[in-house]
Amino acid sequence: MYNPDSPAILSIADLHVKFTLRGQTLHALRGICLDVYQGESLAIVGESGSGKSVLVKTVMGLLDANGSVTGGSVCYDGRELTQYKTDRDWMQIRGKEIAMVFQDPMTSLNPLKTIGAQVREAVERHQGLKGEAAYRAVLEALADVGIDDPERRYKQYPHEFSGGMRQRVVIAIAIACRPRILICDEPTTALDVTIQAQILQLIRQMQKKYDLTTIYITHDLGVVANVADRIAVMYAGDIVEIGTCDEVFYDPKHPYTWALLSSLPQLGVKSQPLYSIAGTPPNLFQEIRGDAFAPRNPKALKIDFVKRPPMFQVTPTHKARTWLLDPRAPKVDCPKNIRLLRQKGGKHHV
Amino acid sequence: MSDTPKKLVQIQNLSVDLGTRRHPFRAVDNVSFDIYRGETFGLVGESGSGKTTIGRSIIRIHPTTQGEILFDGKKINGRISRALDREVTSRIQMIFQDPMSSLNERAKVDYIVSEGLYARGHRVPEAQRRQKVAQALQDVGLLPEFASRFPHEFSGGQRQRIGIARSLIVEPDFIIADEPISALDVSIRAQVLNLLSDLQKKRDLTYLFIAHDLSVVRFICDRIAVIRKGKLVELAESEELFRHPLHPYTQALLSAIPQPDPIAEREKQLLVYDPACHGYSETNLPQWEEVCPGHFVLGSQRELEAYRRQLAQTQ
Amino acid sequence: MKKFGFSYRRRAEEQLADQLNDHLQETLDASEDALFSFADFDAESAERTGYSDYSYWGSTLRAFFQNKAAVFFLVVMLAVLLFTFVQPMLPGQKDPLEIHTNAWGLPLNNVPPGTDGFLLGTNAIGQDLWSRIWAGTRTSLFIGFCVALVEAVIGILVGILWGYVRKLDFFFTELYNVLDNIPQTLLLILISYVLKPGVSTIIFALCLTGWLGMARFIRNQIIIIRDRDYNLASRCLGISTGRIMFKNLLPYLVSVITMRIALAIPAAIGNEVFVTYIGIGLPLDTPSLGNLINTGRSLMTMSSLRYQLFFPVTVLAVITISFYIIGNAFADAADPRNHVK
Repeated sequence: MYNPDSPAILSIADLHVKFTLRGQTLHALRGICLDVYQGESLAIVGESGSGKSVLVKTVMGLLDANGSVTGGSVCYDGRELTQYKTDRDWMQIRGKEIAMVFQDPMTSLNPLKTIGAQVREAVERHQGLKGEAAYRAVLEALADVGIDDPERRYKQYPHEFSGGMRQRVVIAIAIACRPRILICDEPTTALDVTIQAQILQLIRQMQKKYDLTTIYITHDLGVVANVADRIAVMYAGDIVEIGTCDEVFYDPKHPYTWALLSSLPQLGVKSQPLYSIAGTPPNLFQEIRGDAFAPRNPKALKIDFVKRPPMFQVTPTHKARTWLLDPRAPKVDCPKNIRLLRQKGGKHHV
Repeated sequence: MSDTPKKLVQIQNLSVDLGTRRHPFRAVDNVSFDIYRGETFGLVGESGSGKTTIGRSIIRIHPTTQGEILFDGKKINGRISRALDREVTSRIQMIFQDPMSSLNERAKVDYIVSEGLYARGHRVPEAQRRQKVAQALQDVGLLPEFASRFPHEFSGGQRQRIGIARSLIVEPDFIIADEPISALDVSIRAQVLNLLSDLQKKRDLTYLFIAHDLSVVRFICDRIAVIRKGKLVELAESEELFRHPLHPYTQALLSAIPQPDPIAEREKQLLVYDPACHGYSETNLPQWEEVCPGHFVLGSQRELEAYRRQLAQTQ
Repeated sequence: MKKFGFSYRRRAEEQLADQLNDHLQETLDASEDALFSFADFDAESAERTGYSDYSYWGSTLRAFFQNKAAVFFLVVMLAVLLFTFVQPMLPGQKDPLEIHTNAWGLPLNNVPPGTDGFLLGTNAIGQDLWSRIWAGTRTSLFIGFCVALVEAVIGILVGILWGYVRKLDFFFTELYNVLDNIPQTLLLILISYVLKPGVSTIIFALCLTGWLGMARFIRNQIIIIRDRDYNLASRCLGISTGRIMFKNLLPYLVSVITMRIALAIPAAIGNEVFVTYIGIGLPLDTPSLGNLINTGRSLMTMSSLRYQLFFPVTVLAVITISFYIIGNAFADAADPRNHVK
């Protein structure tokens, strides 16, 4: 389980990733620094276009052809992943060490192969089993992820499964590889709320059972309260706040995190309008001066438009990249409805 | 709403079959409910529950199999006169789920928003059309200069607002919003929800809000109906439904709503709905009945008795 | 003296620059504290963030012109087209039907290329091959374009109706099944017997069955996009079927239609050649690539006369290859998924 003193198995330092698109350069990741610790469950939260998918694709070597790492390092278990160029290098990492669950279960599975055959492929390859032993292992894996009647399901095709069941199969395939890190890229966005809750629970169970490290990507801050030990909030290719789950929910420091929390309908009051963030995320083709969130931030300081804020330390585990934490800045407290949340759970919060 | 609220839409014993003639699939099974003028009515269910089919049947995209849909007292499903068809087109409009596929990529925003004005009976001179487009864009919080751009230049939230502007330009009375925010980021959903609320107050609109997420629906809807596999299982006022959910399926949906509160989430027990818990059989069929003013549930006689007792206790 | 003065000036300049930098830094540091106050928040300007300046046709053209082979063949094709029109107006061109005779009245047949002022030689009855080839290219290209155009117009209209109007689907599918099974060759032979052989007859005959392929292709494309949300939205707004077809459906198909037309042209020319092989092509007094190749084919065995086959075949090959490469390159360029470089 999560232990703050355990070593970092994935270290990302000052990572810059750029894409060439129709002759222009898109600066997708602008200096990401992130450590992932053994056995923890890390959630990366951000809107579309914040760069969260690009980040995990870089870690897996799945960047599109027009994207490239232009600076920084990604260090996994002592190996420098930015040096890996060929598919052969990546074969040592993908599946075996780091496995990924994608958003759309409909396109993640091969429609022409039975479910059993697809799980079996992973089992044979990564667990080295063959024949009858492989078959038993597949049935076990399917039962593990909560699929009833695995013998009958083994012979069925993906189109005979519902969205939630398909996502369970994808998780089974990922787990069958016995990876050290499991990356889930918005695994429940395409699913209904009831199924979403069940899949989240399933991932949590799998993490405990197989001692995995989970990285969870989502745009919905409301969903991660159950699954995450630590939360990193991303905006415009940069991490703006990172801390433990309790810290980010009960004591957020960055205006963007406030905005994300405030806009959740669960925190809305019926007769009043819901808090919404004005405008749209910035154009990453252009050079961003200062704090990227400044144009949409009603509490922005003038310096937010001039100079990029450094990471300020709030607690040993909690950092935020905002000028509001600078001693020279005026005191701004987070919005009322988030403060109420803090008071509700306040008795537990140290 | 003053004195007795008027019924704008009445769905009576509606059934819709999908699929081929030889293998019909009953998507909507004997559904009845009313929508009052000026309210926001929420219809919540999982994918495949039939909620989208109901919306599309009202706006006459899907043909119905049995039952009636009444709009302002007139039957609008099945074969109707051309005049009535045109009235339906101008008074009922729809907002679609996916902002990426609901706009014509090859047309400018100007054309897309004013599309309704090219239909018969809505033709206006060019200058007036342009003015209406500018007004419609401003009403949804977009800048009038966006009219000369193409849809791909906008983000999901902006595209959804363009879709709303498009449906408003013909000045409808009733709007069917088919999961309008499911495909948007959580932080953008608030923009669209606030906009829909605002427009309702300004223009006295009536909404049928179709969704799969109860948390959103609680915020914007006056009354909520829960649908499962083509059948309505519960219908009540929003707060009443959240305070006293009777049907086990409703309770499961409520427990599935993610709370942005880590401690509460960790302590939460997830309820999973098992249809076998009712013990329905040929002799023990469920009925749709009102157990308390405005609160309807689907259940067998025994269950309905139990629900009534439950509600009486909390009174 | 000058050197000393120069370095003194340089030192002075550097000193001044340093002073300026320090002063600037001081001002910045001093004003930084002043920057820790709230900025004005303008909600409207937050909305104005420009998103992308992606233009579909702009990117299509850019992707197309990045393909060197396609551009090369496009230039070749345009050159050929231009030349076929310009050639009769050049000085010293001979009439393609004129039979040239020598001083003794004997026809100058089978003259090898380059002799006696015949650039490509003459054929078996003494006609100038150069002018015949260009006349033939003109005719064949004309046939190709006409057939492709007529096929496109009829095929698109039928295809759209077939794909969009559900009630007509059954009727058109049965019609297609019947017509598609009629052997094209038999039809061509029949028509040639009924009507006089000529350019319009060939065009008519080739068009008769050619539109089927285009109609089916368009119908399949329409079925893919017919039930997309934006079309449903148009229907909800009461838009007429005609307007939906022209504003919602056709614009999505422009790229695939252009590609198919580009490939239909060499196909029509090839058909014309084939038709001439089986003896029902154009008469010899209307030169076309078909009958030029046919005549040349019969002389293939004699090495001295092989040029009569070689030249028209080269022209046909160049046209066919150019259109295929341009057509395929355009299809690739028009696919939005390729608009990333």
